[in-house]
Amino acid sequence: MDEQADNTDRDAPDLPEHTVASADVPDVELVARAGAGDADAFEELFNRHRRRVSLIAGRFFRQREQIEEIVQESFMKAYFALPDFANGQENSFASWIARIAFNACYDELRRMKRRPESAAGDISEEEAAWLKTQLRAVGAGADVEAAAIARDLADKLLARLSPEDRLLLVMLDVEGMSVAEIGESNSWSISKVKVRAHRARAALRRVLERFV
Amino acid sequence: MIGNHKKGEPGERLERFGQAIVRASATANDAEAEAVAASPFLYARLRTRIAAEEARRAGGETWLALLGVVWRSVPAMALVALVAFVLFWTTNLGTTTTSPGVLSDEALMDARDAGIESVVFAERRPLSSDDVLATILLEDEREVSR
Repeated sequence: MDEQADNTDRDAPDLPEHTVASADVPDVELVARAGAGDADAFEELFNRHRRRVSLIAGRFFRQREQIEEIVQESFMKAYFALPDFANGQENSFASWIARIAFNACYDELRRMKRRPESAAGDISEEEAAWLKTQLRAVGAGADVEAAAIARDLADKLLARLSPEDRLLLVMLDVEGMSVAEIGESNSWSISKVKVRAHRARAALRRVLERFV
Repeated sequence: MIGNHKKGEPGERLERFGQAIVRASATANDAEAEAVAASPFLYARLRTRIAAEEARRAGGETWLALLGVVWRSVPAMALVALVAFVLFWTTNLGTTTTSPGVLSDEALMDARDAGIESVVFAERRPLSSDDVLATILLEDEREVSR
């Protein structure tokens, strides 16, 4: 996942030129320089990984302001935690900053869950009818992937899950992270990840079964 | 797949449908995320926020330092208060005091006031009736001599 993230970040179009620090300088060295107060080194780290962090934030949030908030929050936390990275056993800045970003998303999801005004709207009758039709078709053997699911409806359904379940399902089904990676990211054991994954899938199934 | 167990074909289809929903929700916003990543002032805003956070943390450290000074001064202040109380107590022991609201016999009999008055009058040597008579006679003699 990390190598893929690094490659996609370096191929990203429309990003500012890396003028100060060379792209050949490894992240670990940039972290050491940034920790010593080199602002250019931190900017280089930011430019290398901001696309990845933005995409992670976009997995959970729709509005541009929310995504930017997560990006800023993640890099700010990383900035103040640079000594932890340098002193710890971390071997990849990409996975470290991704973990910080996922945690920032999780915190924001929990905050949103506590605010009733930010809750997703109810599913309309038309949406419920469409969902019922699709689920019946799927049950009858129709191709799941052929069902074009509206983004708003998907958001409303996922809003019924807990932040933990949603985070886990995105990590598993969208990011393609392994159990070990998820465990490392959340400081969970492998067995705990498996149990939580099972519960998350069951929770999503229960949400869908209401419309069958 | 992680978290999947044998649930029969309908259950599996339902689960695949759920995965499709998760993917639809998560990947639908990639364009917006790309736009945020390409924002030219993103780093400038981040630097501003980091500077504000540094200032906030520095302010917090100042308050903590001040609190530490106050905390360390508590024993010294307590010692000063104890010394002041002891001094107050010892100086009050040397003088007779009447508790407020309770009148002593001396105050009721006005004995001390009478003593003072007698001293004052003694120093003044009040006039006797002979002195008054002598003064009147002396005045009469003066008038006659005129």
